[in-house]
Amino acid sequence: MRSNLFRRQDFILIFICLLVAAALFLWFSFTPSGGVALIEQDGREIGRYPLSQIKESQTLRLTGDVDVEILLEPGAVSFYSSTCPDQICVRTGKLTKPGEAAVCLPARVSIRILSPSGESEIYDGITG
Amino acid sequence: MKAKNNWLYSKKTVACMSFLLLLIAVVIFWLWKQYGYRDSRYESSSFAMGSFIQQTLYGAGAEETANEAASAITELENRISWRVDTSDIAAINDNAGSEWVEIQPETTELLSLCLKVAEDAEGAYDPTILPVSRLWNFDSEDPQLPSQKDLETYLPYVNYKNLRIDTEQNLASLRNHYMAIDLGSAGKGAACDTAVSIYEESEISCGIIAVGGSVGTFGQKPDGSLWEIAVRNPFSETDGETAMGVLSLEGGFLSTSGSYEKTFTKDGKTYHHLLDPKTGMPVENNLVSVTVVSDSGALSDILSTACFVLGEEKGTALLEKYGADGIFIRDDRTVSVTSGLKDAFQIAMEEFSYAE
Repeated sequence: MRSNLFRRQDFILIFICLLVAAALFLWFSFTPSGGVALIEQDGREIGRYPLSQIKESQTLRLTGDVDVEILLEPGAVSFYSSTCPDQICVRTGKLTKPGEAAVCLPARVSIRILSPSGESEIYDGITG
Repeated sequence: MKAKNNWLYSKKTVACMSFLLLLIAVVIFWLWKQYGYRDSRYESSSFAMGSFIQQTLYGAGAEETANEAASAITELENRISWRVDTSDIAAINDNAGSEWVEIQPETTELLSLCLKVAEDAEGAYDPTILPVSRLWNFDSEDPQLPSQKDLETYLPYVNYKNLRIDTEQNLASLRNHYMAIDLGSAGKGAACDTAVSIYEESEISCGIIAVGGSVGTFGQKPDGSLWEIAVRNPFSETDGETAMGVLSLEGGFLSTSGSYEKTFTKDGKTYHHLLDPKTGMPVENNLVSVTVVSDSGALSDILSTACFVLGEEKGTALLEKYGADGIFIRDDRTVSVTSGLKDAFQIAMEEFSYAE
């Protein structure tokens, strides 16, 4: 004898609800955690590196009027060396969190940490 | 026909299904409102005026608008940079002590603003600082500590009162030979004005631009939230934290003058680029950074320099005169905020505190 509490169609509804929940869960869990390092030279994108996906330290050399070496390591990115005179970029140190940025003006190279979705940042801008 | 075989058409199922569809629609709408507008978001970075320029624009035609703004800033630089041989400013400098020079209306407007602040700040800001700032050469690869003799020689040529402007005919003249204009402390803010005026004529819904340390906003963010603008931590090099606080603003322009920006060390003493026009030496007070919020980019830039030189008390009075607001950060990590920013500003690092 069938229960009065649940009928077959109720189970189908519950199943659909679970399916929707699972889809939403998968969608959100697929956005990577940790920031994404966006490296640009002269305003052109050189590459995007999700910090959590860097397993081994590696360096990236960008050449131009001024040569820079960018160090990509698990969870952090930094200007490792630069042939620029002021060395402001190297002194900025390691970037780890979304919203952080380092720029080598003479080399026209910038590194910015974007939030996991690779788009939105914590702040809309920074002054100073 | 038995009802139980026809469950799909039962009233209860239809009601449930409708409810479910409505629920899904609400969830999708919510997600779209939260994240959807970012699809129309365009980011651009470029270089001009010796600065890193970042634009984030939302809405139709964002890419073209960003490119247009970037070239307009380069045009502005070519008009107001003393380093560009063909600029209005170079022409005025070249003819110092002799001819009146015809300049573009926009240059007249910017010079008038500089003179007005110079007067109100009683010379604590001076657009004719170049004879002295050139000795220090902070923008070069190799800044110099000028000799006392050189400073004494060139200081008399720093005097905004000898810069004359004819606003009717767009003419300008420096009264004495050796005088020269440097708009370095107005240019980045003026660049924000230029960009925002281009945004206003475009189809984009809103946007934000940063030229070096100056920021300009246009419109309201699609989700209705305020513009969140971080204030740089003057001690970021030792702290490792970039932002010392956050300003939440509906709109406007901001600029910061900080003694940490351009420095060099000689014989154990560190010199920074914010020069007192009266002594020709870097300003020595207890300030490390001044941020100014105003409805004009150029004004925010000029006022931040003037306020750094004037110090907090006189600086606050100057800001009041222009209906602007400011954040003063001292070397002991205490912070003062003018009344208009009390609610908008929040300290983000526990190492900083409000002054008594």
